[in-house]
Parts: sequence; structure tokens; C-alpha cells
Amino acid sequence: MTELGCILRLARNDFSYFFRTKWLMAILLSLHLSDMLVVALTYKNFMTIDYFRFFVPATVIMGLFVAALDTGRRIWLAFREGVIQYYLSLPISVNGVVLAYLLAGGLAALVYSTSLLLIALLVLPAQAIWTILILLPFLFVLAMGLAGISASLAAVASTHGEYFFAYQQIVQMLLLTLSTVYYPIESVQKYLPSSLIGIVSANPLSQAAEAMRQYAFAGNPIQPLALLNILIASIPFTIIGAVAYLSALRAVQRKGKL
Amino acid sequence: MHDIIRLVWFDLKQELKPPVWIMLQWLTFTVQLFIYGAIISQLVLATKIANYQEFYAVGFIVMMTFEVGSHTGRHFVEHAHEGLLPYWLSLPISRTKLFLAITLQGGAELALMLGVPLAITLAMIGNLTIVSVTAAIATLFCLGFGVAGLMLGFSFIAFKSSDLYTAVVTGLSTVLIRFSTVLYPLIFLPSGYRPVAQLSPLTYGSDLVRLILGFDPSIMTYDPIIAVAVLVALAVSTLGLGMFLLQRLVEGVKSG
Repeated sequence: MTELGCILRLARNDFSYFFRTKWLMAILLSLHLSDMLVVALTYKNFMTIDYFRFFVPATVIMGLFVAALDTGRRIWLAFREGVIQYYLSLPISVNGVVLAYLLAGGLAALVYSTSLLLIALLVLPAQAIWTILILLPFLFVLAMGLAGISASLAAVASTHGEYFFAYQQIVQMLLLTLSTVYYPIESVQKYLPSSLIGIVSANPLSQAAEAMRQYAFAGNPIQPLALLNILIASIPFTIIGAVAYLSALRAVQRKGKL
Repeated sequence: MHDIIRLVWFDLKQELKPPVWIMLQWLTFTVQLFIYGAIISQLVLATKIANYQEFYAVGFIVMMTFEVGSHTGRHFVEHAHEGLLPYWLSLPISRTKLFLAITLQGGAELALMLGVPLAITLAMIGNLTIVSVTAAIATLFCLGFGVAGLMLGFSFIAFKSSDLYTAVVTGLSTVLIRFSTVLYPLIFLPSGYRPVAQLSPLTYGSDLVRLILGFDPSIMTYDPIIAVAVLVALAVSTLGLGMFLLQRLVEGVKSG
């Protein structure tokens, strides 16, 4: 089998593992569906904006984010349970293992968020459904970037495995809170200092949520610069994650452990 | 009593050395309250909820109580899975003492996790009395014990499949929080959801804590006496069920 074939098989294995984890599916679906169909609908009744219209598109991005972050948990498990030793014994390069995990993480997040998107389309009519098809490749790159963040955390925490979930929770909380997923940028500008407003605007989650709201659901024409910004904000995370995971794997190859 | 304290400390010291999870809970609360809560409250119509940040602070405390309570139940299952429970069952102590140790450990964990967030919330709300603070803490503990007992009651599922148990418990947790008055008063829930929210134990807990801390009484879903009765009944009945199940567990049990 060629290297590419091995990478794809490894990616398929990791991809299917994500969807076969019953408890994870129960958490993710109950969380995002209830956010969409209960929280957004209820907040709408006492807010100054139509919060349902505002929050439902963002829920899709939240789903993408949380599913992509699960890549780190799978990497962490592979380190902890020695599966990584098995992967390293396969006729596949270390770079190939890294690529397979990032591909699987990105794809699993994209498939999961697309299922949320289909539900969102049922409850909130979109003005430009075909625009979503243009957004999907950019969301895939974003998911790879988010998987990269998670892979870095798994690599950093691999020597203190139990802290991985603490790191993950901190990153998840900060990236979501300092974004425009939950609130419009105008509200953020009224409250946060200017240094943090810059972070909120540059946050890839803000950009993706805004793209989903403006282009897919509101039907505004796509701005190429906005899509480019998603790429610029996501690709560095993918590279950092790949390098961190690669270094961890090389350390395992050299020393037999981390 | 000495045996119980040793067992409680045996389990609790892992949480304290170092107290990563406790600090993380405090950090989460601070970020959620002072960033998310503050920004989202700007979007809330003041005519509907006067101060949403304070409303949210109490809701978050109730959510934390729920999480710690359900963690106590999950912890019990993890112990069964990892082989610690059979070891405990083989110790020369009665099942009642063992159950008390598990319950007290949950209570101590709840006190540690809630200490700082509750102090911040109380300071933010202000204008409190010793009676109101004590009553709010008692309500939270009652709710915490009730949830812990509920999750312990579910633990029998884990002896068939721990994966299924985690799926049921985590799915149920999310639904119980969303379909309750933790994040919003009942009147704003769509009418179809209200009957479900009226059954959630978190509705009784959060409404009662808010009433005690001086929020507008019109947000109450039920009469406060009914809320107190339900919370006490929940704690007593689910803890009773947990104790009953523990009496019937045999050594060598392992979660699937």
C-alpha cells in the first residue's frame, strides 16, 4: 500500500472512532441541539436583538470547534494507551501519522457541523444555501487549525496527561468567550478594552460565525477578504499543531516514551 | 468517624495535590461572569430582567452545584471501573460508613468548588443577611446531595455498560440545565418547554436560591415551601436509593 493509502486508512480509522464514541455523541448533540432549539429560542424572548437568528448560525461553528478539539483527546488517548507505539510500527512516516490525525480531525468536525447545519436550515431559513458550499472548504481549513490547537495541547500535556482536559477547557472557554459567537461585536466594543477587541475580531471563530451569519443565512454577497481572513487565522494553528505533534512523536521514536 | 474521615481524605487529597480542577472551576466562573455574563446582559431588555449579570451569576452557581453533584455519582462509577470500589467493599467498615464517606466527600468537594464563586456572587449582589446566606448555602447543598444521589442511583446502568452510563448522564445533565430556570425565568421559555422545566429539580433550586438572595419574587415558578419540600424530598429519596444500592453491591463488582 502506498504512503497516501496508509494515511487515508489511518485517517478513516480515527474519523470513525469519533462517531463511534457514544457518550461523546450524546454530549455534543444534546449540547448543540439544546443550545439551538432551547437557549436561542428562549433568549430571543428577552433580548434587544433577534437572538435566535443571531445564535443559530453560530451554533454550527461551535459544533465545528468542539468536534475539532476532540482530536486532541484522541491523540492524548493514543499516547496514554500506547496506541501511538503501534502507529509508529506501521509502514507510514511520522509526518503521515500527523497528517492523518489532522485530516481526520478536520473532516470529523466538518461532517458533525454539517449535520448541525442541516438542522439549522430546518429551523432558520437561509437566504443563500449555495453559499454554504463555498464556505465548506474554508470551514474544513478552520477545523484543521482547531484540531492543530488541540493536537498541540495533547503534545504539551502528554507528560502530565491528566492536565490535558484542564488545558482544553481553558482554551475552549477563552476562544469562545473572546469571540462573537455569543454576542455581536458592538456589545464587545462597549465592554472590553481595545486590546481584547482586537483579539475578538481576529479570533477565527468570530470570523467563521460572522461568515455563516452574513453570507449563508442573511444572504449578503461573499467578501473574498473575509474568507482569506479565515485562512490566515486558521493555517498558523494547523502548522503549530502539526509541529508540536510531530515533535512529540519524534520524542517517542527516540526515547520510546515522552 | 475516624474511618469515614480517612476515606474522605484518601479520595479528596487527589483533588488537592495540586488543586487544578478547583482553580479551573474558579477561573471558569470568573471568565463566564465577568466577560460572558457582563456582555450578554447588555443585550437583555432591562424591562424584562433588571440585572441579568446577577441573575446569571446565581444560575452559574446552581450549574456548578449540579456539575459537582453529578461528578460525585460519576466518580463512584469510575471507582467501580478502576477497581477501587471492590477494594473499599472489602474493607472492614460497614456499608453505611462507606456511603457516608462518599456523601461527605461530595459535600467537601462542593464546598471547595463553590467557595470562591459563591463569595463573589454574594459580594456582587450585596445587601445580604446571615440568614439569607445560610439558607442559600443550605439550598445549594440540598440540591447537590439530591443530584449526587440521582447519579448514584443511575450507576446501576454502569454495571452493564459504563459507556451507556456516561452517555445517559451527560445527555441528561445538558437537558436538565437547558430545560430549567437556571439561565432564564420560566415565563420566557416557549410554552411547549415549560412543563418540562417545571419538572426539573434545577428549577426548584435556582428559583429558591434567587428568592432567598433577594431577587424579584415574581420569578418563582412554585411556592417557596413547595420548592423546599421538593429539594429535601429529592435529596432524601435519591440518597436513600444510593444507600440501598450500595448495601446490595457485592465485592468484585466492576463496571462494564
